[in-house]
Amino acid sequence: MNQDEIFARRLQAAIARHLGAPGALHNLQRLTGGATKTTWSFDADVGEKRLELIVQLSNAGATPVPDPLAGVTPHLNSEEDAQIVMAAERGGVPAPHVYAVFDEADGIGHGYVTGRVAGETLGPRIVRDEQFAAARAVMARQCGEILAAIHKIDPREAPFLIRQDAAAEVAAYYRYVDHYGLKLPAVELGLKWAADHAPKNPRMTVLHGDFRTGNLIVGEEGIRCVLDWEISQIGDPMQDLGWLCVKTWRFGGKPPVGGFGSREDLFAAYERASGIPVDPKQVMFWEAFGDVKWAIMCLRKGMAFSDGTEPISIEQSAIGRRIEEPLWDFLNLIEGRE
Amino acid sequence: MPTSKPDATILLQAATKYLEEELLPTLNGYYRFQTRVTINVLNIVRRELESRGAHAADETARLKAILGHDEPLESLNDELCARIRSGAIATDDATLRDHVRRSLAEALAINNPKWLSR
Repeated sequence: MNQDEIFARRLQAAIARHLGAPGALHNLQRLTGGATKTTWSFDADVGEKRLELIVQLSNAGATPVPDPLAGVTPHLNSEEDAQIVMAAERGGVPAPHVYAVFDEADGIGHGYVTGRVAGETLGPRIVRDEQFAAARAVMARQCGEILAAIHKIDPREAPFLIRQDAAAEVAAYYRYVDHYGLKLPAVELGLKWAADHAPKNPRMTVLHGDFRTGNLIVGEEGIRCVLDWEISQIGDPMQDLGWLCVKTWRFGGKPPVGGFGSREDLFAAYERASGIPVDPKQVMFWEAFGDVKWAIMCLRKGMAFSDGTEPISIEQSAIGRRIEEPLWDFLNLIEGRE
Repeated sequence: MPTSKPDATILLQAATKYLEEELLPTLNGYYRFQTRVTINVLNIVRRELESRGAHAADETARLKAILGHDEPLESLNDELCARIRSGAIATDDATLRDHVRRSLAEALAINNPKWLSR
């Protein structure tokens, strides 16, 4: 038996154990394999029903070299990830339904099983294709309402979440820059600007942390599901609104919110649903700092091989060379040239 | 430095032509995407080789004007980074902003020229 067959056999046993017999699997397909997790799609027979499912497995600890930058910015383990997704669903957020969280008896490693939601996640299609025109018209409002629901999650439901305000994030990103010895005046300018303009004493709520086009499953009628919760944290709620506006996540679409909507629609829906007033300047801070953070994430993706934590890859190396794109957007944004 | 012909930039052009025109149409899914990224990376390397050195003199001149003294490019660049971080030069300094904008434009002309024309 090869690795995949062993995995399929254990997955079937885990499904039978957590969801119910017989657990027979169909159409098991690997969707993505990243540095931190691998995702598979499959169907399973449970009782009389055939369920459409997704399994995400953590790859943490798969490489022999410990990551020297682990913990600098928030990153949830599988069990925590599943817990925040469940808390979100309880709070009315369109999050994947968690069917099972693996434990030691499953012998399958760390991971969890969710329902599979049909729809589009690719940014360029969502912001451009005719079939999503009606969805684009309502998505900024939906984002406002969904973010309001996420920010209302009681932090006691996710006691593992790390608290980081803007100043703490700036310090974390300086650590990445210094670890890789990057000497780029544009990055220094961006981090210093962020340190000087960091909002003082912001309200602190649960954040999604990576709420953007690309992490949303979209159908013709609008948003169906919010994915990728693993960098959730406690922070300034305006951070999630600003990140959604970062130009990289517009995928070439003109409208400032995710490439599909207007800031006015996003802010109005958010204020109505959350009762939290939106300060557009504070959202703009988080968009600008978001540009700088994405630039440094490009550096990290491009250079992770140099620590031995990840094998060298063409895809990650190419992302490293995208560092100037968000820095260019940052400069245009703070100079009002957008 | 050997001067064999064809130049490295021509070899890269030939390699990307093969990948793009002959290999790519035969591929789907994962392999198609990875090959697209590979073509993109080879184009970055070619543009970097073609413009190498062209911007260095300009960059050094700008750094000398900001910092007020002469040293090799790398030392001047490190010094500017340290001055920005310590606050010795303000982030809204017009000459600094101009230098950063020009340097980013030069790098984008290599890494992703399309980003400048959006």
